[in-house]
Amino acid sequence: MASASTGKKGRSWFKEEFGNPERRTAYYMVLPSLLIIVVVAFFPILYGVVLSLTDSTISGFGSFIGIENYTEMFQDSDFLEGLSNTVIFTVVSVALEFFIGLGIALAINRAFRGRGLVRAAVLVPWAFPTVIAAVMWRLMFQSQVGIIQYVADSLGIISDPILSSRTLLLIGAILVDVWKTTPFVALLLLAGLQTIPGEVYEAARVDGANVMQRFFRITMPLLKGAILVAVLFRTLDAYRVYDLFWVLGNRELASLSTYVYEGVRISQLQFGPGNAAAVFIFVTAFLIALFFIRVLGMRTSVEEE
Amino acid sequence: MTERAEGSGVPAGRKLNRRDFLKMGGAGLAGAALLGTAGCGGGSGGTGQIIFTMGPDTDGSIAKLIKKFNEQNKGKLEAVHRQMPSSTTQYYDKIRTEFQAGTSDVSVIGTDVIWPKQFAPQNWTMDLSDRFPASEQQKFIAVTTQVAEYEGGIYSVPWCSCPDAGLLYYRKDLLDDSGISAPPETWDELKEMAVQVSEDAGIQNGFVFQGANYEGGVCNALEYIWTHGGDVLDENDNVVIDSPEATAGLATYNSMLTSGAAPEAVANWTETESLANFYNGDSVFIRYWPSAYGGLGDTTQTKLKPDQVGIAPIPVDKPGNPTFSCLGGWEMSIYANTDIEEDAWKFIAFMTSEESIKERVIIGGYDPSRKALYEDKEIAEATPVVKLAKDVLLKNVKSRPVTEYYGDTSLEMAEQFNSALKGDISPEKAVKTLQKSLSQIMEESK
Repeated sequence: MASASTGKKGRSWFKEEFGNPERRTAYYMVLPSLLIIVVVAFFPILYGVVLSLTDSTISGFGSFIGIENYTEMFQDSDFLEGLSNTVIFTVVSVALEFFIGLGIALAINRAFRGRGLVRAAVLVPWAFPTVIAAVMWRLMFQSQVGIIQYVADSLGIISDPILSSRTLLLIGAILVDVWKTTPFVALLLLAGLQTIPGEVYEAARVDGANVMQRFFRITMPLLKGAILVAVLFRTLDAYRVYDLFWVLGNRELASLSTYVYEGVRISQLQFGPGNAAAVFIFVTAFLIALFFIRVLGMRTSVEEE
Repeated sequence: MTERAEGSGVPAGRKLNRRDFLKMGGAGLAGAALLGTAGCGGGSGGTGQIIFTMGPDTDGSIAKLIKKFNEQNKGKLEAVHRQMPSSTTQYYDKIRTEFQAGTSDVSVIGTDVIWPKQFAPQNWTMDLSDRFPASEQQKFIAVTTQVAEYEGGIYSVPWCSCPDAGLLYYRKDLLDDSGISAPPETWDELKEMAVQVSEDAGIQNGFVFQGANYEGGVCNALEYIWTHGGDVLDENDNVVIDSPEATAGLATYNSMLTSGAAPEAVANWTETESLANFYNGDSVFIRYWPSAYGGLGDTTQTKLKPDQVGIAPIPVDKPGNPTFSCLGGWEMSIYANTDIEEDAWKFIAFMTSEESIKERVIIGGYDPSRKALYEDKEIAEATPVVKLAKDVLLKNVKSRPVTEYYGDTSLEMAEQFNSALKGDISPEKAVKTLQKSLSQIMEESK
C-alpha cells in the first residue's frame, strides 16, 4: 500500500486519509478482510507470544514470567542442537538445490525432442508426500536391509549404521531434501527463464557476446526475480523443517520445529520453552523474509515496476 | 472544502454511511460465524451412547464383545467403539487434546498402563475405588492395578494384553544344533550363545531387540537396569538411578553391541524391524512382547513354526537373581466429565469380567489381567504363550517409573539410554545426567 510511506505526519495525515470520502470508502471496503486477517492470523500469533511469556502449561493458563522461557530455551542443549541442525540444513540444502535446480532449468529450457516428458519426469520426486519420501529413504538407509547402507558398506565408505549417527542422519536429510525439492526450484527458475525474450540473446550475439557474458550479463540479471522467489520459498520451508526430520530420524534428528513439537505436545513441562521456540521460529523466519525483500530487493508486487 | 465535496459530497456521505453500516454488519457476521464454529465444535453427545475409545480392533474381538453388551442391554444402553490411532503416542496426543478442550463426549477410555498416573492428577479420569474395591483388585495381577493408583484412589481397571511384558524368545532348533540344551540365564550367557549359535547356524544376527530412541527403548534398557539390581525411583519416588547397579545395567546394555551379540543397527530398531528380522529367521534371540508368539506358524508372516521357538524370562546379572520384565498393556478408565458415569461403569464391568477377558484373549491371543485365567485350560490351549510365560507374567513384571510427568521422564530416559547403547556416552555419564534431569522433573510434580 502506497499510503504506508506517508504515514508519519500524525493528525494531518489522518485528516487527509479519512477526510476524503472516497478514501474513506476504500478503507471501509478493506475493513472486513482486515478484520478477518486480524482474527485468523494476528490473534493466534499474539496468543502464542503471550503464552511464551507466561508459565502456562498444557492444561492451564499461567502467570506472567517475562522472558524466563526464552532464557531457559537458550540454555537447553536440545534447542541449541535443533538450531544448529536447522541452520546447517537450511544453508546447505538450499545452496545445493539452487545450483542443481539452475542447471536443470537451463538444460530443459532448450528445445529438444521429448522436452515435455523430461519436464514432467523431473517433477516426480517433488510430487511425493514428504512423509512417504522420508519413510522410503529411511528404509534405504536402514542397515542390513537398506540399499544405501549396503552400497556404502561394500565401498568401504561407511560401516556404522547410518541411522545411529546424528551427523550422518543430518547429511542424509540434506540429500533427501535436495532430491525432493530441487525439481521445485528448477521449475520456478524455468518459468523465469521462459520470460526472457529470445531477441535479447540474439542482439547480444550480434554484438559479439560469448556464452559466459550472455549468462552473467543477461540470463542472471533477468532471472533475479525468479531466483529470489525460489530461494526465499526454499529457505523458509527448509528453516521450518519438521516432517522430514521427524520421520527420517525417528526422533533422533532435532530441528527447531521438532523441538517445538516435543515441548508442546509430548512433554508436559517444556510447554513454555516450546512456545518460546515457536515464537523464535516465527520472528526469525519473518526476519529472513524481510532480508530478502529489503536487502536483496525482491519484488513483492508488480506495481512497483 | 472543494466544490466537489459541496456538490455531491453530502449525499455521497450519507450513502456511504449506509454502505458502511452494511459492511460493518458483514464483518460482524463473519466474526460471529468464526467464533460460532469455534464454540460449537464439541457439543456433548447426550444420546446415552457409551463412547469407548481404543486403538483399531484388528481381530474383531472388541466388536464382538460390544455386540454382546448391546444385546444384553437392548433398549437401555448402547456402546460404540470409537477407533483411535494404532500408534500409542498419537492416540495419547489425540485423547489429551480432547480432554484439554474439556468438550469430549467420550465416556470410557482404553488407556495404556502409563496413562492412569498421568491422567489422574489432571482430574481427567474418575476415581473408581467405590466400584472397584480392594477385594476385586486382588483378582488381578498386582502390578496391573498398582499402575492405576494415585493418592489413595484407583483410576482404571486392567483389561487385556495386560500385563504385556518383555520376554526372551529363542530358536530352540538352532540352540539344539549347537548342542545347547537350555536358554541363557544370565546376560553373559546370552552374549556367548548369541555369538556362537549365529556363527554355527550361519545367520546374520545373534540377539535383536528394540534399542531406538523411543518408548520401547526405555522398556528394553530398564530391564537391564532392574536385572542388575538398579532402579529409577525408590518407593518414595526419589530418583535413585545414579547407582553402581544401574551403571552396570547400562554397561551390559552397551556390551550387547560391542561384543557383537547384537547388530549395531538395533540402536535404531523398534518392534517392526526387530520382529521382522526374527520372523525372517535372521536372528537367534529376540526380546519381544508376548504377541510375537501368536504369529508363529502363520506362513504369511513368518517361516518359523511354534516348535522352533522357546520362551525364557529376561536374563539376569548373576544366576539366581530375580528377573524383571517391563510392563505394557491396556486398561479402562471413565472420563471425569461424562454424565453417564453409571452406564460407563456397567460397560467396564462387562468388558473386564472374567468371561469377556477370556473371550478376547482366545480370539486375539492376548495375555489376561485376571490371575484365575492363567489356570484356564481353554486359554492355555488357544494362547500357548500365556502358559509358557505364566511365571514371568504373574510374578516378574515391573512398571516403568510412571508419575504425573512421565512424558518428560520418558523423553529424557529414551535419549540417554539410546546414547549409552550406542556408546556415544558412558553408562556413568548417562546415569549422572538422568539423576539430575529426572530429579528436576520430580521436583515439578511435588
